[in-house]
Amino acid sequence: MKERYFSTFQLILLAMLAALIVVAKIALRLPIRTPGHSGVFWMGIIIVAAGLVPKPGATSVVGLTSGVIAAFLGMGDLGAINTLLSYTMVGVGADLALLLLRNPENLVVAALAGAFGHMSKFLVKWALGILLGAPVGLVALGLAWTLVGYIIFGALGGLLGGLTLAALRRAGFFAYLAEKR
Amino acid sequence: MSQRALILVAIVILVALVGGVLGIEALRRLMNPASPSGEVTLSPGDTPIYLDEQLVAGFGPADLDQLETVSFVDAEKGKLQQGRLLPDVLPLHMDADVLMPEWSIVVSSSSQGTSAQLTWAEVNNEANMVMLSLTNRGTLKLVSLLEALDTREEWVVDADKIEIFSP
Repeated sequence: MKERYFSTFQLILLAMLAALIVVAKIALRLPIRTPGHSGVFWMGIIIVAAGLVPKPGATSVVGLTSGVIAAFLGMGDLGAINTLLSYTMVGVGADLALLLLRNPENLVVAALAGAFGHMSKFLVKWALGILLGAPVGLVALGLAWTLVGYIIFGALGGLLGGLTLAALRRAGFFAYLAEKR
Repeated sequence: MSQRALILVAIVILVALVGGVLGIEALRRLMNPASPSGEVTLSPGDTPIYLDEQLVAGFGPADLDQLETVSFVDAEKGKLQQGRLLPDVLPLHMDADVLMPEWSIVVSSSSQGTSAQLTWAEVNNEANMVMLSLTNRGTLKLVSLLEALDTREEWVVDADKIEIFSP
């Protein structure tokens, strides 16, 4: 029998992390009035997903799943397509970065993957703004500052994810996962 | 390739992407046809102000930075709302002396499909605190102490257009 790319356990793990992204987006609030600040939460979760399921495509699955959940919950203020695409691209962007950089437990790699993933979300909003004439909804502080904000908060989130992975390894969580796989 | 080299490559790609975005934005500005003298031009991110459906002015983030920040605690959730008074914003690029108390000011959001209509008398009364505040995402929202505009449901979030109508 052909072995599946992701095991059921891994898919459940990824789906739980996707749900956690949506919950974090709804429940967690940072008192920072800067576009992109929520990247601290969800890029952290994305990088943890990349570490727990170290296969190309894992973070894309998390992004797509969280995008579907968020779109069905009516989250985002520029429509379901925008929500679905931007959540998905967060995962795809991180995946592409990790294809190049590989190890998300390296803190520099984690920060860079976080920055790439979160910048992908910005690119979706920006491209939709250009292509559809839709309001970008994030230009009040200027495009350059918004972009820098997305990258910095994405990198901070990635760093947080990298630190979480290190803590999980110290706690023996990866040994537990190896048994489950 | 070593990990360090890969990280450098990633940083170069990231910088190239940022440069690409800013370059395309700069190109978009250049490709906008030059306006005849006297015509108002808006930069990306500017909020246009229309007077009787004629574009008369626009303001951007830098304009708002010049203005005094005011605040009030909203009655609905008791949170501090900070921003710039709309009657301070309008005179930045237009002659606000022409506005009469009974004229309508409509602030709308094209993305949310919401709007609020006030008279200039209401807007110009500082006690009403009709102000443009920054949302967490960096967009503008119209908030006020006025009864018609004092709950989150009534606020105009992602406000991107101001229209003034004379009777």
